[in-house]
Amino acid sequence: MLNWFAATFILLIALWYLSFTATRLDRLHHRVETSWANLDVLLQKRAAVALEIAHSDIADPASSMLLTGAAYQARDADIKSRSQAESGLSGALGLLLEDSQHLATAADNALLTELSALTDKIRVAIAIHTDAVSRTQMVRAKFVVKAFRLAGTAPLPVTYEFESDVL
Amino acid sequence: MLTRSLKIGIVCPYSWDTPGGVQNHIRDLAEFLIAAGHDVSVLAPAIDETLLPEYVVSAGKPISIPYNGAVARVLFGPVAFARVRQWISQGDFDLLHLHEPAIPSISLLACWAADGPMVGTFHAAAKRQKIIFAIGPILEPAIEKLSARIAVSEAARLTLTDHLDTDAVIIPNGIYASRYAHGKKQSKWQGNTIGFIGRFEEPRKGLSVLVDALPIIARFAPDIKVFVAGPGDSTDVEKSIDPQLRHRFEFLGKISEEDKADFMASVSLYVAPNTGGESFGIILAEALAGGACVVASDIPAFDDLLGHGEFGALFASEDSTDLAKVIIDLLRDENKRQKLSEAGKSRGQSFDWTVVAEQIYSVYEMSIVGSEKVRLASDTRSWNRFLSKDDK
Repeated sequence: MLNWFAATFILLIALWYLSFTATRLDRLHHRVETSWANLDVLLQKRAAVALEIAHSDIADPASSMLLTGAAYQARDADIKSRSQAESGLSGALGLLLEDSQHLATAADNALLTELSALTDKIRVAIAIHTDAVSRTQMVRAKFVVKAFRLAGTAPLPVTYEFESDVL
Repeated sequence: MLTRSLKIGIVCPYSWDTPGGVQNHIRDLAEFLIAAGHDVSVLAPAIDETLLPEYVVSAGKPISIPYNGAVARVLFGPVAFARVRQWISQGDFDLLHLHEPAIPSISLLACWAADGPMVGTFHAAAKRQKIIFAIGPILEPAIEKLSARIAVSEAARLTLTDHLDTDAVIIPNGIYASRYAHGKKQSKWQGNTIGFIGRFEEPRKGLSVLVDALPIIARFAPDIKVFVAGPGDSTDVEKSIDPQLRHRFEFLGKISEEDKADFMASVSLYVAPNTGGESFGIILAEALAGGACVVASDIPAFDDLLGHGEFGALFASEDSTDLAKVIIDLLRDENKRQKLSEAGKSRGQSFDWTVVAEQIYSVYEMSIVGSEKVRLASDTRSWNRFLSKDDK
């Protein structure tokens, strides 16, 4: 009799643990999605600002062309080429900013401040996203999660390469 | 900064009526957010519930536990849990901001009880603590629910990555820099003077390091004066000072904010000899903003805040000989003092609330997605129903 009680008890605990882990995982997947959505919006905004900068007097014709190309690429890239496109845009912006700081006029300065504010936000968004991804990966590597397929059909989240190079 | 008015719930783990860095930070942040047009409610333990400002909700009376080299007044337990849940379900918040959610407190309880947009701020910087190994598995799923984490300094971030294996965005503590920027020089504090502000009775504030350094300093600067401000009973400390040097020290007691600004502007050097347990050093930020030339121990938080010596001089922590050397060096070189305090003053501006709150707000924005609100977590909802029946 006592054995039966013990067995039921253990089974209940195990079931509770499974459901708890599944909820936890679900929450993490949600976090990955929302944090990526955030980052995505910010990156799109950055591409738009980059285009504006390319059209302004800050950029000389050569860097303007470079920037326009990079911005369009980042805008239209599909999932596979996204990372590379964003890195390219970061690089193009970095090149431009390096030597334009002192010769910008007031109107252009507004654009540059907007860009630097955006860059700060992107940095924060990247930190939030990579953290969500690594937490999810950690939980998904657990034995229980694998054995009982608690993740269901959700794809394993990954971080993008462009997230690791500082803007 | 304001895009739309938010309903923000902030949870303070420590008793509202005891002074402390975290409480001050939350008070300033809440008041800043309210002034910016947001609706803010702060949940905090309180000893005397009648003295609370309008925006603070009491969670009950705190209990005292030793934590991180000091006594923390926190609160937890089933009654507190019920209060936290009630506050969450009635608040209809857009976002919760939990402070120090990794210690047993109402912040952790709130983290457990809620679901939705949550931001956590980690203040403490501590050496690796064994207890985390025991409670880590319980803590992790809760901390994981936070949509974004903020650490107040590099030291606090390292503590977090060390203990809980998760990263954070660094946003420093805020000060009202403008309050300190226009201090008047008062002749009573000028000359070869050293300033110290803090609860000097606590060993980790390091006043004894300064006391031990004074004999050497006095040899080179016979007219040296040390002003110690801060709450506490000075008789024990005074006894520990060499009788010949006792008159070099003056204890001012607790001083007002205006006096603090004048104090920072007047003294030749502001010394922070803290030996550890400090995660940010708000007083240093205030000293910088007030235009003081700062000398601080090289504990990680201070090293970071002073830009590795760019905005203030550093000495080897707990080494009074080194402290004496640095102080004498600076007392002799007015040019260097001037340079450091000028660099420090602009550094102090970067901790102003207008800058810091903006950063915090952008983290808020990133945590809020769509119109999702904070609600009770599904795993505690049934438990809640069970308890509220009990209440009736």
